[in-house]
Amino acid sequence: MVQAVNGVSFTIAPGETVALVGESGSGKTTIGRCVLGLVPPTAGSIRFRDREMGRRWNVRSPALRGRMQLVFQEPGESLDPRMPIGRSIAEPLRFGSFDRAARQRRVQEVVQRVNLPLGILDQYPAELSAGQQQRVAIARAIVTEPELLVLDEPTSALDPTARADIIELLVRIQRELGTAYLFISHDLSAVYQVSHRIIVLYLGRILEEGASRAVFRTPRHPYSVGLLSAVLLPSPGLQRETTFVLEGEIPSPIDLPPGCPLATRCPFRIGRCSTGFPAGETVGPQHVVHCFRHEEVAAREQAADTFEEFQRKVQQILAVHEEMTEAEPLGVPTLAEHGQMRRVPGDTER
Amino acid sequence: MGVLRYIAGRLVFLVPQIIGIVLVSFLLIKAVPGDPATLMLGPMATPHTIAELRAQLGLDKPLPVQFLIYVDKLAHGNLGTSWQTTRPVLDDLRTRFPATLELVTYGLLLALAIGVPLGVASALGRRGPLAKLGGFYGLVAGALPDFWLALILIYVFYSLLGWVASPIGRLDVTVTPPDTFTGFYTIDSLLSGNWATFRSSIHHLILPVLTLGLVNAGPILKMTQATMERMLEADFSLYGRLCGLPERLIIRRAFRNALPSVITIVSVLYGFLIGGAVLIEIVFSWGGAGQYAVQGVLNSDFNPVLGFVIFSALFSLVVYLLVDLVYLAIDPRIRR
Amino acid sequence: MRSEAQSLVTRTGIRPCGPGSVGVASAASDPAVINIRDLEVTYRVYGVQPTRALRNVSFRIAPGEILGLVGESGAGKTTLARAIMRVIPLPGRIERGEISFMGADLRAMSEADLGKRRGRDLAMIVANPRGELNPLLRIGVQIATVAEVHLGVSRKRGLEMARDMLHAVAIPDPEQRLRAYPHELSGGMAQRIVIAMALICGPRFVISDDATSGLDVTVQAQVLALLRKLVREQQTSMLYITRDIGVAANFCDRISIIYKGEIVEDAPTGAFFSGPAHPYGNLLFAAFSHDAELRRRWMGNAPAADGDAAKAPCLYAERCFKRQARCLAEHPALREIAAGRLVRCHYPVGR
Repeated sequence: MVQAVNGVSFTIAPGETVALVGESGSGKTTIGRCVLGLVPPTAGSIRFRDREMGRRWNVRSPALRGRMQLVFQEPGESLDPRMPIGRSIAEPLRFGSFDRAARQRRVQEVVQRVNLPLGILDQYPAELSAGQQQRVAIARAIVTEPELLVLDEPTSALDPTARADIIELLVRIQRELGTAYLFISHDLSAVYQVSHRIIVLYLGRILEEGASRAVFRTPRHPYSVGLLSAVLLPSPGLQRETTFVLEGEIPSPIDLPPGCPLATRCPFRIGRCSTGFPAGETVGPQHVVHCFRHEEVAAREQAADTFEEFQRKVQQILAVHEEMTEAEPLGVPTLAEHGQMRRVPGDTER
Repeated sequence: MGVLRYIAGRLVFLVPQIIGIVLVSFLLIKAVPGDPATLMLGPMATPHTIAELRAQLGLDKPLPVQFLIYVDKLAHGNLGTSWQTTRPVLDDLRTRFPATLELVTYGLLLALAIGVPLGVASALGRRGPLAKLGGFYGLVAGALPDFWLALILIYVFYSLLGWVASPIGRLDVTVTPPDTFTGFYTIDSLLSGNWATFRSSIHHLILPVLTLGLVNAGPILKMTQATMERMLEADFSLYGRLCGLPERLIIRRAFRNALPSVITIVSVLYGFLIGGAVLIEIVFSWGGAGQYAVQGVLNSDFNPVLGFVIFSALFSLVVYLLVDLVYLAIDPRIRR
Repeated sequence: MRSEAQSLVTRTGIRPCGPGSVGVASAASDPAVINIRDLEVTYRVYGVQPTRALRNVSFRIAPGEILGLVGESGAGKTTLARAIMRVIPLPGRIERGEISFMGADLRAMSEADLGKRRGRDLAMIVANPRGELNPLLRIGVQIATVAEVHLGVSRKRGLEMARDMLHAVAIPDPEQRLRAYPHELSGGMAQRIVIAMALICGPRFVISDDATSGLDVTVQAQVLALLRKLVREQQTSMLYITRDIGVAANFCDRISIIYKGEIVEDAPTGAFFSGPAHPYGNLLFAAFSHDAELRRRWMGNAPAADGDAAKAPCLYAERCFKRQARCLAEHPALREIAAGRLVRCHYPVGR
């Protein structure tokens, strides 16, 4: 028996971003699907706007349609390759009360909001880069002005520049439209930028949750510490210092033994850990951890925000005040006026 | 242990499959227009005799009852009697079914012997002459009617060259059939040490087997070629090359991965040819089951048709079960 | 724990493998394990202008050094890896350039000779490990075959060596795992198996093509630690191809940035991350900044490229906000601007 999700409870306030963080088997994708009503939960309840999701109140019912949307990981695969972009984006509007002109307007509005040129409406997904495709996917998701957007690994398949753009876009859209996000990702850097609250999952259980900054700065669960210290930032040697290591690999989710799922790997484990799952203990404002020995973890680990440190470094390095001359405008002088394009012989000089 | 459970599960599932087949074929046969009694008695029969015959045949009873009677008879091994041969269908099929089976089995073996090596060679040759030959062969084999090829072969090898026996059945007129063990004349004559019969049966098998083999090598060749090409370009083959494995080893492994597809198409052909070889059977006067069933259809003789359907359905189910077991042996992903 | 072949290599530097192996003498004359000069690869499709996937690519890797090749999708990283191993799929071909491995010219070598070297002296680890393994064969057999083919050992001995390698890559319960099939493995384990296959013959050079990108972050950390240990122990050279500049910062000794088939910057890691010299290097760095203004300065200021800029000799010119007249007229060469730092730019970012 595989228990994909076990005893998970959380809320998302309007306009808030809650991040689900975890590795393979953590259950974060399943939770995302449950929230949308795509996967029926075996037990428990999911309420949207204080009403229980069910037969009358789900993503397909007229009252709820378009109020919750989803953005996938693989932008290329979530767009129908045979539909021009304009039609793809307009699709969620089909069931609304919009006439053709209103739909057109909406689509154009939303395309501009995601910083894409209007000409893109007639193109096909294959003609776009991955970053552009993901923007289209986001445009399609916000065209109905949803109250909740579930994003499943939206940046994982993207190059660094496209990734930065998408993160910025998501932050801006939230500011402009007040959409709440359920941000599912293993990209901790993106999570740091986008989320207000973060929930750390492992094999279906919530191990720690709280305000992002708090959890990033002072993780209290051994797993959160392990996760954060494994993050590699673009700065040599800038890694979160930690005094311990999680042994081994993530075990199979089939027939998990009772107790804390991390017990087999945790250097802090004691007898109790294998018999019962710890209840949540509040360690700070909005910061809850499920661990019997979180105090020892706190004692041994230093507070550190490597992401913050890295940002400072980046500022330092990139805030170069050299003679940054204006880029040459392309009108004058042109190539023609400078003569033929010259290739310098012996390209590789040392 | 899991394997035995799997087999047991499949065997149990056979029962509803057979019931379904019997039901469907029964209904389909009954849907064919034409009253058997009238056909049997001819145009001069009186309504009274027709009605009597109908009562005798049970044709006046409601459909579900007729079906239940039929199932009951089946359970006792009674497949009814063919009014054309006036013999029980079971007896008829007991000689005819092995005849078809012998022909089709050898034919498919030959088809495999031609199709697989040519398919592999075409896949390796890529755009070379061998690949083009493979493509051409597949095309021709698909387009040619098998009976036409049979007739051509008979004309060339029998009428013109006189190299083979005459196409009048499974044995020479002068030779008696061997004692029945399997129904395969070749095997039975070997088992009873009867060389003359053995030689004669081989002689008569040459042309029809050649026909079946040549024609059915086409789809086997195409399937082998396509699958081999796919396996040779698969990631694991590329990675094997990256590891410096010799090309021969890579080809061998690609072939092993291509086997399931080849087996699939052979199993499909096998099931199909039991009935599909009928034209060959007619040309060579083979006395096979397909012929038998066709005659039954043409004359509204229902029992042989139903009997044939059940035999060949059972046969197909067994073949598919064996094929699934072979898959289990080859592909570890299925074993979980 | 290591096979005798590997221990022998570490001790004496002499390869015990069969004929065709490079002797000690030539290794000493060229200290770099891999030396690429002016490599150019094009893809010719019928009826269309040939695309140059790689041009003027030059770099060298010393023994025990890990060179990180960083670039975005389509920059040519995989093409480069394939070019070195000479497994570029048609219609691509190496037009020009030198690829030498320990003094031996890989381009001039016959396919037969190169086949012997692949897997034995040069190895490659790729992403999507489960796809690279034959689904119908047990992994013990697959690993052992590499040793059997290159080192001429028996199946029994091959399996022993495979078990030792599994132990070396920290796979628990190696004896059991030998009998497993690829679909039974997790992503992290499959990646380690592929690493075991690549390293079983003790190659001098390993290419990792985006090998850790699909892994969970904690698994990635373990795999990287493992790779570093094995590389240092055996003084293997490594070309680590990635899109993730964060991994490159912490794992590689040198960084090479590739853009549209050209190397635009080549520097020791510390120097690079103290301040990239090429505008594109700075752009990659800026992509991680949370400060939108800062990002925009490096990323978005350039006036939209029109036809002229797209054909400019400097390939980066169309995106570059520092573009000058010279960039549109003259193709920049790779120049040394400091000890061990190379940049391909007319106006590198000074600090």
